[in-house]
Amino acid sequence: MSVAIEVKDVVKKFRRGRRLKKRDIFAVDKATFDIEEGELFGLLGPNGAGKTTLVRCLATLLIQDEGTIKIMGKDIYSNSLYCRRQIGLVTSGERTLYWKLSGRDNLKFFAALYGLDGKERDMRIEYLMELLDLKDVQNERIEKYSSGMKQKISLARALLHDPKVLLLDEPTLGLDPQFSRFLRNFIKNSLNKEQKKTILLTTHYMDEADELCERIAFINRGKIVDVKTPYEYKRDLPHTEVLELRCSGIQNCDELLKQLQSLNSVEKTTANSVDHVTNIKIILPRAEPILSDTIELVRKQGKILGINVEQPTLEDVFIYVTGTRLSEDTAEERPATKD
Amino acid sequence: MTFKNNLKIILAENKKTIDIALSYPIFLVFWGIAPLLWLLPFVFQGKALVGGMSSASFKALTGSANFLPFILIGTMVSTYIFSGLWGVGNSLREETYWGTLEYIIASPTNPVVVLLGKTLAEFILASANVTIQALIATFFLGVNLTLAKIFPVMVIVLLLLIGFYGFAIAFAGFTLLIKEVHGYVHSLEWVFYLFSPIRYPVEVSSITKTLSALIPLTYALVAIRGIILLNKHIVNLWQTMLILIGMDIVLIIGGYLLFQYLERKTRQAGTISQY
Repeated sequence: MSVAIEVKDVVKKFRRGRRLKKRDIFAVDKATFDIEEGELFGLLGPNGAGKTTLVRCLATLLIQDEGTIKIMGKDIYSNSLYCRRQIGLVTSGERTLYWKLSGRDNLKFFAALYGLDGKERDMRIEYLMELLDLKDVQNERIEKYSSGMKQKISLARALLHDPKVLLLDEPTLGLDPQFSRFLRNFIKNSLNKEQKKTILLTTHYMDEADELCERIAFINRGKIVDVKTPYEYKRDLPHTEVLELRCSGIQNCDELLKQLQSLNSVEKTTANSVDHVTNIKIILPRAEPILSDTIELVRKQGKILGINVEQPTLEDVFIYVTGTRLSEDTAEERPATKD
Repeated sequence: MTFKNNLKIILAENKKTIDIALSYPIFLVFWGIAPLLWLLPFVFQGKALVGGMSSASFKALTGSANFLPFILIGTMVSTYIFSGLWGVGNSLREETYWGTLEYIIASPTNPVVVLLGKTLAEFILASANVTIQALIATFFLGVNLTLAKIFPVMVIVLLLLIGFYGFAIAFAGFTLLIKEVHGYVHSLEWVFYLFSPIRYPVEVSSITKTLSALIPLTYALVAIRGIILLNKHIVNLWQTMLILIGMDIVLIIGGYLLFQYLERKTRQAGTISQY
């Protein structure tokens, strides 16, 4: 199988700060990976990890500072027009369409940008409207559409010119669970399995990546941490259990995490608090031997609302590998100092 | 993309821009009438100063005593100019606001082709506005605009606009890079108002007269007023036309190259989607 997307040593820096204090921040730092033709590949990382910057580089919206990107064997910088014809782009958010135009008129306009017109264009729009179940609303203005319907039109736009490669940047962000489910099924079954599209999906939903992707690249603070199949990630994790505690009244979380970390065979501890409820995760080979000690330590500070022992998910793998939760925002400054 | 494809993109963009504009009909009415509302204070001011619609000193400067048609022509031509500057220059900012710019830039179409479509739409919309102004001037202000003079006037207007739209395309490039251009557009507007004969003859001051020679609008307005007010034949305006053609070539090529440069800078800076 040949390579559809080739990313090699890509660096993208941004100048941040004011006047004399300006400095370079690495949004993408020496990213390297390949995606084979027909593969559904995931880019998983927290907000601010560099996923969208990388997708924008691939979509030729950004020019990388270093490294090379090839789409279907051609360099995107020197063959940008060819590469743009091979790519269909979907981003998250509702505001990517002309709200004062109908769904059909939106597609007609974007079809023109890809050189489609006349019967060919009309047949393609008809097919996509049918495929995405939008025929009944195709002549209504976008402003009357629900978020999910708008995202369907965005998807139809990306498919207008029948591209070989699809770049889906957080396509289910902000959608209700029903539409998210529909979109996931559509991506997996219709686009990937039936139409054999090469898909790069970025997400910070680990269950989405786990369910859809054949291989996943973990990206954190601009760096590609690892590229494996979901199965390989879980298999290669040295621990096998995750002990989760839901507590309230925790006064000194950092101190508590230190104490928990010192318990026998604990590999990693993380915590996050929402509305005075603290969720603590302890990653370790077996939870049962430290259960009573853990309860005792937590009880000294607060009240235990619930305890759960689970098998590791991709999120646990991510935490293990990067020390960062997927729900965290890592958009804080990353100065351009190399390791 | 072939020439035929690009032509279709221009027409698709033109249709889209007009469809969106027509979805806000009140704006069309406003922009049709507003320039006349701006004009009226000057008419009343002129009337109060000279005690009527004509002035001997005005005739000495312009060759025509009646100042109303003079100002009206200035207003109508400046409607084309400023709507082009606002419409084309600011259009990519609108696309950013709608969230559609990234999809235009990520397509295999050169954004300049899309801007040409916006230019065509702005020309059509401005023509509609100017027609409303001409009708109001004819029926309510008693100005006699002869149909026979429209063709030569349109030739001059087109020669002016070709270069000016080149300038507006460069301005669109600045919008991509620096996002906020209202201050620049307003400053340019006032430079044009001050140093070109939109509302008064530039001969009133040696400074305005000298600086007006740098602005293509000056040549066009002098020529158009010559045709309409002084019954000059277009053939006798060949020098003006040559100057405008020269400026067109410089502004179109310069505008295109500057836009390409600024677009690449924006891609490097990573600010395409920001507004």
